[in-house]
Amino acid sequence: MRDVGIRVTELRKKLGTNLALQGVHADFRAGSLNGLIGPEGAGKTTLLRTILGLLKADQGEINFSKGGEPCSFDEVRPTIAYMPQQQSLYPDLSIAEHLEFFKELYAISDSDFKKRREELLQITRLTQFTDRSAGKLSGGMYKKLGLMCALLQSPSVLLLDEPTNGVDPISRREFWELLYQLRDRKILVILTTAYMDEAERCETVHLLDEGRVIASGEPRKVLAQAGAGSFDEIFVRNAREAHGR
Amino acid sequence: MTSPFRIRRVASIARKEVFHILRDPFTLAMALLLPAILVAIFGLAIEFNMRDVSVAVYDADRSPESRGLLRAFSSSGYFRLKGFAAASETLRELDGDRAKAALIIPPRFGHELGAGREGLTQVLVDGADNSTVGVILGYLRGVQAVAASELLGKPPQPAAIQFRTRFLFNPELNSRWFVVPGLIAVVVAILSILLTAMTVAREWETGSMELLLSTPVHPIEIILGKLAPYIVLDLAAVVFVYLIARAGFEIPFRGSHFVFLIGTLLFISTYLAQGLLISVVTRKQQLAMQFAIVSGLLPTLLLSGFIFPITSMPVFFQYFTSILPAKWFMMISRDVFLKGAGFSELAVPFLALIFLNLFLVSVATRRFKKDVEP
Repeated sequence: MRDVGIRVTELRKKLGTNLALQGVHADFRAGSLNGLIGPEGAGKTTLLRTILGLLKADQGEINFSKGGEPCSFDEVRPTIAYMPQQQSLYPDLSIAEHLEFFKELYAISDSDFKKRREELLQITRLTQFTDRSAGKLSGGMYKKLGLMCALLQSPSVLLLDEPTNGVDPISRREFWELLYQLRDRKILVILTTAYMDEAERCETVHLLDEGRVIASGEPRKVLAQAGAGSFDEIFVRNAREAHGR
Repeated sequence: MTSPFRIRRVASIARKEVFHILRDPFTLAMALLLPAILVAIFGLAIEFNMRDVSVAVYDADRSPESRGLLRAFSSSGYFRLKGFAAASETLRELDGDRAKAALIIPPRFGHELGAGREGLTQVLVDGADNSTVGVILGYLRGVQAVAASELLGKPPQPAAIQFRTRFLFNPELNSRWFVVPGLIAVVVAILSILLTAMTVAREWETGSMELLLSTPVHPIEIILGKLAPYIVLDLAAVVFVYLIARAGFEIPFRGSHFVFLIGTLLFISTYLAQGLLISVVTRKQQLAMQFAIVSGLLPTLLLSGFIFPITSMPVFFQYFTSILPAKWFMMISRDVFLKGAGFSELAVPFLALIFLNLFLVSVATRRFKKDVEP
């Protein structure tokens, strides 16, 4: 399945007493690389979880399309891959064991798996570490393993929650090279990040603050429109305005 | 979810769980060593029957009759006698905890007996140790009867009616016969409730459950896959205790293995469901462990009739214990082992266990979340 697009309208979600999403609008075009940018507690993770169905929205709609035609969540759901923010792999399982495990979860055929496995190990350059357990991997390698598990099934949508958080600069660069390769395959990627330099690498950014999208579009245009030099500036200005209100 | 149920996914989750068990020293130790330790503690070390109760003796009479009485004591096999030169010395033995009881035979014991009057002796029993007093008293009565018939050459005259008590099923009232079949419930409680609650809670705590739920896997596949290795562990532990019971302690197994197997499977699945429910509700390992101990392990040890008989509990607890699966399994296990009971004799425990099983399994699977809503 290719060319899946997602449109989010007026999404609201309350978690306990916290209004995590307060009417979020966003358009994630098929095959694009989207960044959800925002400070801690802005609602980035909640938005990803809601899109994935791990949380149910209190209000609003999430519409999926395939090749421009509307389609149901159930149709798209099996082809969405997700990498949570929390370290969620099994520290005692090796890279090879993780791949075997996810192969079965996604019900991938042996021949497809063999091909995918080689390919992914090559682009992540983890071929020589397949016997190493996840608990003994470096931060960057760990994130790459998470990405491999998500990519094993050739997804149409890839949701990455802070995929480069806590990773050294070189590994971060490698990770982004990987993401660029994916873009060529027409996968819709939505990732969250707190790094502003990463935001500028996305095709489209959605600036999220206190459960609302305060700006979205091409990174450079968003900056120009706001007359700001950086995304940080927009957030600081927004916070000041909210304070003054 | 559109993806159909796949047994291969279950197998893959089960295999992953086996890796976790084999690579985690704590779980492995719990699974392998604990049944052995419990059998050792409850089967060997804790002895509810008493042998060789130490008795300090002061025989002031030194007559053939008094010696006959002492013979009756020592030949019973329950008492180990130690003579002293004064009554006060026997008391010192009691004070110093070197004797459980003191036997003081007055000077004219033999003479009185010969004259056809009552032969009075004084027996002092250490009442501080509550658990042994009843047993010692029971033995004393036995010795008294033996001594009376031996010394007087015939059963005591006034006793026109005599009880000839014979204990059925466990003629020697051997506590091991009673304890070891019940031990299975305790071992299953640890493996099923404690380990299961912790392993599923761990998936929630580390966030891997979120990752699992984001794949096309069904909740029922996760549940079956996670629980399968523990079912195997449970069955292995049950077989282990069974073999120890039969070969090690020579406890008879008078019932049908089929009845026993059905009861065991019912019990295991009930406790697995309880473990699963705890993990789903707590989602934290530490909390899951505490819940498992308080709601699973302790009631199984203390309230199921394993050690303390339910019939001697306050009325409220006699009813309250009915919600404990272990109470019913304890009945099934003991009665199948010792009485050879079948389904018809055990209809009530089986029905109760089936009811609790269906209840816990349905609640646990319904509460098992397909999302990460708080």
